[in-house]
Amino acid sequence: MKEYLLGKIADLPEGKGRAFVAGNKTVAVFRSNGKIYAVANRCIHKGASLCDGVLSNDGKVLRCPWHNWPFDLETGGHCLDPSERLRTYQVKIDGDAAILCV
Amino acid sequence: MNESRHTGYAELERAEAIKPDPIDPRIRTMEVIDTDFHFTPPWDTIRGYLKEPFKSLLFHFPVGGLEYNPEPANEKPGVGQDTHGTAATGADVIAILDQFGTDIVVLNPGYNRPQSIFNEPVIAAIAAAHNDYLIEEVFPVSDRIKANLMICHRDPQMGADEIRRVGHHRQFVGVYSSFSSLYEPLGNAKYDPILDAMRDFDLVLTAHSEGFFPHFSPLWTGARTWIELFGNAPAGNAMAHLAAMIVQGMFDKYPAQKVIFQEGGYWWIPDLMLRLDDFYLGAAGDIALVERKLAAGERKLHKMPSQYILDNVRFSTQPITMPKNRKHFAWLLELCHAADLFCFSSDWPHQTMDPANWVVENPDCIPEDMQRKLLSGNARKLYARL
Repeated sequence: MKEYLLGKIADLPEGKGRAFVAGNKTVAVFRSNGKIYAVANRCIHKGASLCDGVLSNDGKVLRCPWHNWPFDLETGGHCLDPSERLRTYQVKIDGDAAILCV
Repeated sequence: MNESRHTGYAELERAEAIKPDPIDPRIRTMEVIDTDFHFTPPWDTIRGYLKEPFKSLLFHFPVGGLEYNPEPANEKPGVGQDTHGTAATGADVIAILDQFGTDIVVLNPGYNRPQSIFNEPVIAAIAAAHNDYLIEEVFPVSDRIKANLMICHRDPQMGADEIRRVGHHRQFVGVYSSFSSLYEPLGNAKYDPILDAMRDFDLVLTAHSEGFFPHFSPLWTGARTWIELFGNAPAGNAMAHLAAMIVQGMFDKYPAQKVIFQEGGYWWIPDLMLRLDDFYLGAAGDIALVERKLAAGERKLHKMPSQYILDNVRFSTQPITMPKNRKHFAWLLELCHAADLFCFSSDWPHQTMDPANWVVENPDCIPEDMQRKLLSGNARKLYARL
């Protein structure tokens, strides 16, 4: 596993997604309710960019921008069938910065 | 909470913020023809092209059936089914084509429920206004824009008149109709005036799911959910209309007529082909009683029923259903003769939209030559005017 600097936490918009390339992975990063989440950017359904998705359910659920598939932001599991799962990545906090572990 | 670390981050490699293109880059290297893209100019624009007395009386699109939308639309009041946006002008269309890597589009009307209206002159007036707007303001923007012309299918003579009025325009490549909200199936002989007119202009008949509510079936009157109404109903209706086209002799009378079914699914094609052939071999007697066979003095079809599907019928791909088991997906495509019968479609901007990625991202099931046929080759063979 390798650590990558995402940047200052304050630069990550609350409730919005942003995509980052870290090594050979593209990751969608969300800041929601004071926490930073990271999931694989490609939707497992039909390949949409999840960084363009919308947060719902008080910021706990990420909905795909193409077909509305809902994923638990914490676990990456589909809300109706957790066996359908996005890969999630750990994000560490170092002072005012967010560190992505991939 | 996120785990904390305190080792200092200045030495770390930075992750690069990007704006990913969700469209597979291979799509942008291949010709893509989208056979189902809904174009929805504002009602006031269409109204500007309406003839009187319709212009003075139709202040809104006269919704004929109950409005019913997918879940995402309920969170965006006012967008209706157009959850991915609205293309209202030719420039809008070109911008969306470029976004999705599409070269040529066949527009379908966004006001795609006219046959649900129980007033034939109103349907015909809206169809004419839509067609005139395309001719005057949309087609001149780019030759990449083609369209299915709108007609009143419920009144075959009105439908035929509209085809003869505007069918000469080369950017119309087909005629838009529906298989969900007509009382009698598209294969019925009452629609022959429409087919006579289409034959004169070499236009493809587009049989699109429409209205969601197959109005005339009590089964769907009892349905309550989007899944029942839009997930399942179109397939059953598409099968019924296609069977009628074949066994009521439509293709025997119009052997050159091509039909493309849209949004009716495809997984049922092998069953329909086998079942039609089996029933034909054992119980073909009443085919002699259909109008076209009585008029022709014939007692049977010219071919086996399944052969008409191979010769005359194509299927747009959206919404594509992909079994997770790779062998099953490959077999299903083979059973459906997908390499020759499938034409790519996105159905933009509706909620079940399919970008073209899936065509190139399953090379174990869809080899490269088949990818090219699905993305554009089959459509080029289908539409004489492309």
